[in-house]
Amino acid sequence: MNLEEKLAAYLAKALEAGDLSVESLSRIPGGASRETYRFRALYTKNGVRIEHKLILRRDPPASLIDTDRATEFRAYRAAHALGLPVPEPLVLEEKGDALERPFFVMEEIAGCQVANILLPDPYGAHAGRIGEQFFRTLGTLARADADAIGLGAFDGCKDVRDCWRHELSRWQREIDQDEREPQPIVRAALRWLAKHPPPPAQKIALVHGDYRSGNFLYDGDGNIRGILDWEMAHLGDPLEDLAWALDPLWSHGDPARPAGTIPRDAAIAIWRRASGLDFDEAAFRWWEIFASLKGAAIWISAAREYAEGRNPDPVNAFSGLYCLAFHNKVLAERLAVAA
Amino acid sequence: MKPEIDQILVTSALQLLSDLVPRLPEQHLQGEASLIAFMLLLSANEYGRAAEIRAAENADMRALFAALAPKVRGEDLRRELQAAVSGEDGSLAIAALNESNYALRRFLIRLHEHVEDDPIANAEIWSLLKTIAERRFLAPPRF
Repeated sequence: MNLEEKLAAYLAKALEAGDLSVESLSRIPGGASRETYRFRALYTKNGVRIEHKLILRRDPPASLIDTDRATEFRAYRAAHALGLPVPEPLVLEEKGDALERPFFVMEEIAGCQVANILLPDPYGAHAGRIGEQFFRTLGTLARADADAIGLGAFDGCKDVRDCWRHELSRWQREIDQDEREPQPIVRAALRWLAKHPPPPAQKIALVHGDYRSGNFLYDGDGNIRGILDWEMAHLGDPLEDLAWALDPLWSHGDPARPAGTIPRDAAIAIWRRASGLDFDEAAFRWWEIFASLKGAAIWISAAREYAEGRNPDPVNAFSGLYCLAFHNKVLAERLAVAA
Repeated sequence: MKPEIDQILVTSALQLLSDLVPRLPEQHLQGEASLIAFMLLLSANEYGRAAEIRAAENADMRALFAALAPKVRGEDLRRELQAAVSGEDGSLAIAALNESNYALRRFLIRLHEHVEDDPIANAEIWSLLKTIAERRFLAPPRF
């Protein structure tokens, strides 16, 4: 059986629809940590013929950063229950029997696009509208109570005093493991972060982990319809997501307008209103430096995957060459001022 | 006159983008091929400057090590510093330049840790790190 037939056989059981067929299965871009496919499931339910547009997210043979598809699925489910704009997750399969590797299926949000991070001004006349939604949605996520959305025992940090240490340790491990060529800026940044810890988090919240321009679907009217790529979701300090969202790499060439949308101060004000949290510039500074360090860690891992021939995906070459040089520059500019 | 390597890379990238990408059947393949074209353009840019960047970076590191020599305590580290300062790049092949660059960077990391609490030495090292980062930065090609 090919992938289409295997998927149809699996979904026929999972959705209790014996006549289910899969059509128009086609792979689409969807990040380096999952294979993403768009397809249509056709079946009869209670005598009604249904055509369901769906997305399959399957583990690749080797992943850049090891992430758990159950984590991603649960984060989608929690965000969907919160009313955030995300595709509805439908089926999770953690074993590799049905499609050779674990996967999950969620609804497709059709008729939308994702911004290319290399394009200047991707949102055009809708930049203000998209920026307002983008930072309000992030604030809404930060406001949510992790226990109330069923994620009290989710991966990540459980103590407000330890969020910074938890994340710094995680990404230092990645760097220690994957650093092929010596990285003096990254090493100095690691030491600076360890020596200048931020104050405790105001709360523990669900952190998306990769909340940025290029990771959401928007329609032609400037409506954000789907926040994507929750595979690095975890519990932590909400400032972590805000700092990542404001990082210059995702600013489409204009760091004064984070995410290529609205001025930084306006973005922070919207986030504050929606989250109900304070914005502590000193604490945020730590998370800003951390964001660029975390980026560098991801790009170092990508560079190694590519350089050692394990994963020839061009996104790994791009990450190791362009993104790593970008974040080294950001870190050096910010930390040279502090020195 | 023969075509230079960077010209071949740029021409290939543009052919890929204009002639081949639109014919690919899947969005995923179109995205991959576009990114490969983008990498060819970045590589074309690197072709012209790669040796110069590495040679300049190595020279700058050696000069900084010499300037910071009086701040170094400990025989072993001082000996390593002298060895690093007295080295030179005999070949402009990228592999050779990288080899000395990695050794110098490894020493720079150790030296930075050693003098980090000295504000003047720390500022000098950060100044060099900023220069290194700016030199290595790649401006994205605009289509």
